Amino acid sequence: MIRAEGLVKEFSRPERVQGRFSGVRSFFSTKKVVTRAVDDVSLTIDDGELVGYLGPNGAGKSTTIKMLTGILVPTAGHVEVEGIVPWQDRRANARNIGAVFGQRSQLWIDLPLRDSFDLIAKLYGLHPVDYRRSLDAFVDLLNMGPLLDTAVRSLSLGQRMRGDIVAAMLYRPPVLYLDEPTVGLDVVAKARIRDFIAEQNRSEGTTVLLTTHDISDIEQLARRVVIIDEGRILYDGDLQRLKARYARVPRDRRHRNGSACRTPHRRSRPAQRSTSR
Amino acid sequence: MTAPPVARDRSGRTQRLPFRFALGGMAASMRQGAMAQFAFRASTWTGIIGCVLQVVLVYLVWTAVYGARTEVAGVNQRDAITYAVLGVLVNIVFQPFTFDTLYGRLRTGAIAFDVMRPVSAVPLALAQQVGAAAAQLPAAAAGLVAGLTFGAIDPPGSVISGFAFAVSIVLGFGIALIMNFTVGLIGFWTLEVGGVFLIYRMLAQFSSGALIPLWFMPGWLSGTLTALPFSAQVFVPLSIYVDTDPGWHTARAIGLQLLWIGVLIALGVLIWRRAIRRLVVFGG
Repeated sequence: MIRAEGLVKEFSRPERVQGRFSGVRSFFSTKKVVTRAVDDVSLTIDDGELVGYLGPNGAGKSTTIKMLTGILVPTAGHVEVEGIVPWQDRRANARNIGAVFGQRSQLWIDLPLRDSFDLIAKLYGLHPVDYRRSLDAFVDLLNMGPLLDTAVRSLSLGQRMRGDIVAAMLYRPPVLYLDEPTVGLDVVAKARIRDFIAEQNRSEGTTVLLTTHDISDIEQLARRVVIIDEGRILYDGDLQRLKARYARVPRDRRHRNGSACRTPHRRSRPAQRSTSR
Repeated sequence: MTAPPVARDRSGRTQRLPFRFALGGMAASMRQGAMAQFAFRASTWTGIIGCVLQVVLVYLVWTAVYGARTEVAGVNQRDAITYAVLGVLVNIVFQPFTFDTLYGRLRTGAIAFDVMRPVSAVPLALAQQVGAAAAQLPAAAAGLVAGLTFGAIDPPGSVISGFAFAVSIVLGFGIALIMNFTVGLIGFWTLEVGGVFLIYRMLAQFSSGALIPLWFMPGWLSGTLTALPFSAQVFVPLSIYVDTDPGWHTARAIGLQLLWIGVLIALGVLIWRRAIRRLVVFGG
């Protein structure tokens, strides 16, 4: 179970000064710009649920996931995953969660795929028999037998993504975060990954939080969707109801800018504020 | 699909992994660090050839420096050449001052996965560095053979010196490892560390005595450098090696190395704790 209450994450970075000698002046400037990437997000996901987490680029999806995985420490608010506060007890949390970040890879780039899996099995203390069995099952399901002895750098994007998914699932965590696992993949690769996620959710009862820009990922996998924009949750509920609600909006407007979730009552709010430190 | 019977804990807190898993992870990480060095055959060969060349060049230069003299600044020719050649080999194995493990992972964002592991990223990164160092052993061995062929390496100054050197070089490696790791953590604050590392690398290489033995430096400089932990990496073990009359001063030098390890670990842990709190993963 994932529980988040009033999550806030702010990032600060030095402000860039404009005008003459801006580079030098920026260097000595102590002014900071604070960006609120996630603003008061509350969310509860039950065991075995598969939830789609949607929003345009920069809406705060990945930042939320990074807080749920314990990578980032929230500026404010409370998180609990399987009864553990992730950033406080990272190591205990690690065994409960698997994560795939579509934009990065946890695989060791210069080594054969199999070596990455071996290393992960060691890190998570898997029994060799369990490891063997899980790996065989996954390799079979994702059809990646011939890839195991290929160096990760030589894999195609779709192949690498499958490798990353196996790496995240090898120790069978009860919670799985998938941050754009289908980004940049062709239809066949996408379908294969979707089937695999659905299967794991159904047969293992894995709790899945999935972000994607591909609305058909959501349509095929998730019953419940959470929509976030500018760090705030705009919608949390049934996918069908959401579709019914916006069924009257013409299709081309709904899908403008590749973003599937512009909603009419989007709050306009200054996203940035300036402070001197 | 039938689910393999893997213990899963849905209720309450998950058990912390036993220590042996951390060891298994470290062993795997070490192996991975070593294997990654061998991933590119060409670079392995350049490493070997580079090492042999360096040994030969250093031998030629120091022989020429001494010329007909047998002693310069109170150091005899054989000792100086042995020191210089061993310095090259130690330098190669220590891979001194590479920061790849954490810094590279910070840049690519792969660090995100490191902090999600059931084993702390620190022992894993260190183990990987040890593996990478072990992968330099073939190159160092080739250099050693070259050195022995030229008669550039004398046996240790005495039997005790030999044993003391073995202890001291391991400690020196430990110090190099911890220091490089700690400096690598600067990236968590500055996000860009190329320049810092370049300067650090240069200073560390010079101050450790890997390039020029501290004996040949002016008194005030060698005094300062002896007080720094860099000299404990290379200079201390190598001067123990050539020492013909080991004694209390040898024990003191090794004790000081141990002290440095303690201090540096404490410092490293402190900085790591702060770094992890600051962790920011780029993009995504």
